[in-house]
Amino acid sequence: MSYQASQNPRDDLRERLYIPELLKGLAITTRHFLRNLFRTRDTNTSVVDRKGPNLVTTVQYPEEKVQYPEGYRGLHRLVPREDGKPRCVACYMCATVCPAQCIYIEAGEYDPADGASESKVIEKYPTAFVIDELRCIVCGLCVDACPKDAIRMDTYLHTPSEYTREGFVYDIPKLLKGPAVSHKSDPWNKRPDSEEPDHQHLEPHVRIGAGLVAHKAPEHHAPKIIVSTDQPVPVVKFIK
Amino acid sequence: MRWLTVTLAMGFIVALLFGLMAVAYAVSAALGDLGWLSNLVILMVVFVMVIATLLTVAERKWSAMMQDRIGPNRARIALPGLKDRSLGGLPHVASDALKMLFKESFIPKSANRVLFNLGPVLAFAPVFALFAVVPAGPTVTVGGQPVPMVVSQPDFGLLYIFAIASLAVYGTSLAGWSSNNKLALLGGVRAASQMISYEVGLGLSLVGMMVAMSTVQLPAMVAGQERHLWEVTLSLGSWSLPLGIPAWGILLQPVGFVLFFAAAFAETKRAPFDVPEGESEIIGYFVEYSGMKFGMFMISEFVEIVILSAVTTSIFFGGHNLPFVGAALAKSDFFLSHPIVWGAFSGMVFWVKVLLLCWLQLVIRWTFPRFRYDQIQSLGWKMLLPAGLLNVFVAAALVLIDPELKLLAILGMVEIGAVIALTTTRRAGEEDHGHLDEHASGPSTTGTQDHGPPAVAASAAPPHQGLSGRAP
Repeated sequence: MSYQASQNPRDDLRERLYIPELLKGLAITTRHFLRNLFRTRDTNTSVVDRKGPNLVTTVQYPEEKVQYPEGYRGLHRLVPREDGKPRCVACYMCATVCPAQCIYIEAGEYDPADGASESKVIEKYPTAFVIDELRCIVCGLCVDACPKDAIRMDTYLHTPSEYTREGFVYDIPKLLKGPAVSHKSDPWNKRPDSEEPDHQHLEPHVRIGAGLVAHKAPEHHAPKIIVSTDQPVPVVKFIK
Repeated sequence: MRWLTVTLAMGFIVALLFGLMAVAYAVSAALGDLGWLSNLVILMVVFVMVIATLLTVAERKWSAMMQDRIGPNRARIALPGLKDRSLGGLPHVASDALKMLFKESFIPKSANRVLFNLGPVLAFAPVFALFAVVPAGPTVTVGGQPVPMVVSQPDFGLLYIFAIASLAVYGTSLAGWSSNNKLALLGGVRAASQMISYEVGLGLSLVGMMVAMSTVQLPAMVAGQERHLWEVTLSLGSWSLPLGIPAWGILLQPVGFVLFFAAAFAETKRAPFDVPEGESEIIGYFVEYSGMKFGMFMISEFVEIVILSAVTTSIFFGGHNLPFVGAALAKSDFFLSHPIVWGAFSGMVFWVKVLLLCWLQLVIRWTFPRFRYDQIQSLGWKMLLPAGLLNVFVAAALVLIDPELKLLAILGMVEIGAVIALTTTRRAGEEDHGHLDEHASGPSTTGTQDHGPPAVAASAAPPHQGLSGRAP
C-alpha cells in the first residue's frame, strides 16, 4: 500500500487527528527497518533497484565493485606484442593528438644491420613512452589515433592512488600490461622468421572492416590479466 | 541466515539483562541496608549508561536500516579473530568515545569560562539523576528482608521527576549564553522556551495516571498496574492459568500517554522537536563545544532517551510486570521459592520494554521532519495543554464514577481501537468524508482526540494550520 497524501489536509479527518498519519509514517519506517534487519543483504552490485526482502542498496566499495559499462575508458595500457615488447612504433600520433599533452615519446631506431628479425620490417620503437596520468583527461583520442592498436584503455581500472606526483608518471614497464594482441596485417607477422603465414594482401576497401565480422568483442568481465614484462605474454589473436 | 543471527543476538541481550538483574538483586540483598548503593551503581551507572552509550551506535545503525543503508561497520578490532568482522558496528562506540576524549577541548576567547564549563555538567547531571526514582524490578523478600530494585523511594516520586527534568534547561541555556555566539544563544533561547512550554503539558499529562493510581510514587504506580481489570481462568483438568487484562496506563490513559510522550519528546530536544539543535539552520546551543564537552551533551540526549523510556514504561506499560500471565507466574511455586530469580525475570521484562521504547523513540526521530518553531509552540500551548486539561477532568470523573477503573479502561480501549481503525482503514473517496461535521458525528472519533468538543479537535493539527492558515 503506497502512501497517498490528502489533497486538502484541512478537510481530512485523519490528517486533522494527526496521530493516524503519524502511525502510518512509523509503519513505513518500521517495515523498512524490519526487512533490512532480519533479511540477508543482497550483494549483487548490478542491481540498483532492490525488490527483494532486504532493501539495502549500499555497495561496500573496496570489497564490492559496481561493474563498469562496456567501453569504459580506463587506465591506459601499452599493448604488448607476442614477444612482450610494445606494439608501439613511435609514430608520435598519440602524443600529437593528445589535447592534454600528457604523452611523451622518445623514438629509437632499429638497426637493419643488427640481424634482429623485427628490424627488417619495423623501423622505429619507443625508447621512452611516458604518460602523465594526472594530466590525462581520459578522452581516448590516443586510442583512436594509434595506427598500430598499440595503446588501449580497456583495462577497466582507474588510476590507483600514489603518494607522490612522480608516481603518476607511467613509463613503459608500468604501462605495458594486459594480453598481447596480434593482427594478421602486423609487420611483426611479416618478419623473416615469423611462423605466421604472410598476410594476404586485399584491396584497401575490402580490407577495411573485413576483420570485424570475425572480431569477437573481448569478454567484458573476463579477468584482467596484468602481465609483467619479464614473463612470456599470453597471446590473444583477434583475426585468424 | 541473517534472521537467525539477529534472533540469537536478541536472545543473548535478553539473557544478559536477566543475568545482570540477578547480579543486581544478589548484590543488593548481600549489602542489606546499603542496597540502595548497589542499585545506584548497577542501575544508573551500568544499565542506564551502557544502554545510552550503545544507543549512540544503535541510532546510527538503526537509522541506516530505516533508510535502506548499512550503517557504520568500518571500525574493526585488530585482534586475530575479529579483524575482519564488523560486529554490527559495535567497535564504533569505542572509536567515537576515544575520538571525543582526545580531541582538543576548545573554549572561545570571549566565552564565559566558568559557565561554559558548567553547561555540559548541568545538562548531564539532572538527566542522569532522573532514574533514581524509577523501579527496575519488584521488591522481593530475600531472607525475610525486602530488597527493592530502586535507588530511592521518596514520597514525591513523580514530582521529583518533573522538578529535576526542568533543571536540565539550565544546562542548555547556559551553554547557549556562555558561548558568546549568536547561533548558540539562539539555540539556548529556543531550548529554554520549548522546555518551559512543554513542562506544563508534561505535568498535566500524568495527572490522569496519578488520579487513577492514587499515588505519585513510581513503585506504587507500577504495583497498581499489576492488577488485572478483567480475568479469565483457562482450566485444563487440574491445571489452570488465570489470564487477565492488566490495568496498564496505556489502557487507562491512552491520551495521557500520547500527550506525555509528545511532551517528554520535546523535553529531550530530539527530532521532530530539535529546533534548539537544528543542525541545518543553527547548529544549536553546543555549537562552540568540542571534544568530550560536546560528548556530554550528546550522551545526555541518549541518557534522556533511556530515562524517558524507563519512566514511560513504569507509568504506562506496567513497569516490570509481564502482561496477561505475570500474576500467575508470580504465584508459581518456583518463583515463590526463588525470589531473586523472580526479581531478575521481572527486571528483564522491564529492560526489554525500555529497549523497545528506546527503539520507538529512534523510529520517531528518524521518521518525522522537524517542526517549525511556531508549530512547536502552538502544539504545546494550543493542543497539549487543553487536551491535557480535558484529560484530567475526564479521567477524574470516570475514576469518581468507577473506582475499579473499568470505565476508564473501556474508554481507553475505545480510543485505541478508534485510532487503530482510522490508521488501518483507507481513505475513501474525497467526497465521502473530510467534512468538518464528521468531527462531531462519531463519538469514537472525538474520543480519540481528547474526549472533547470539535473546537479542541480543530486545534489538533497545528502544522497544517501553520502551513495554510498563516500565509502572508
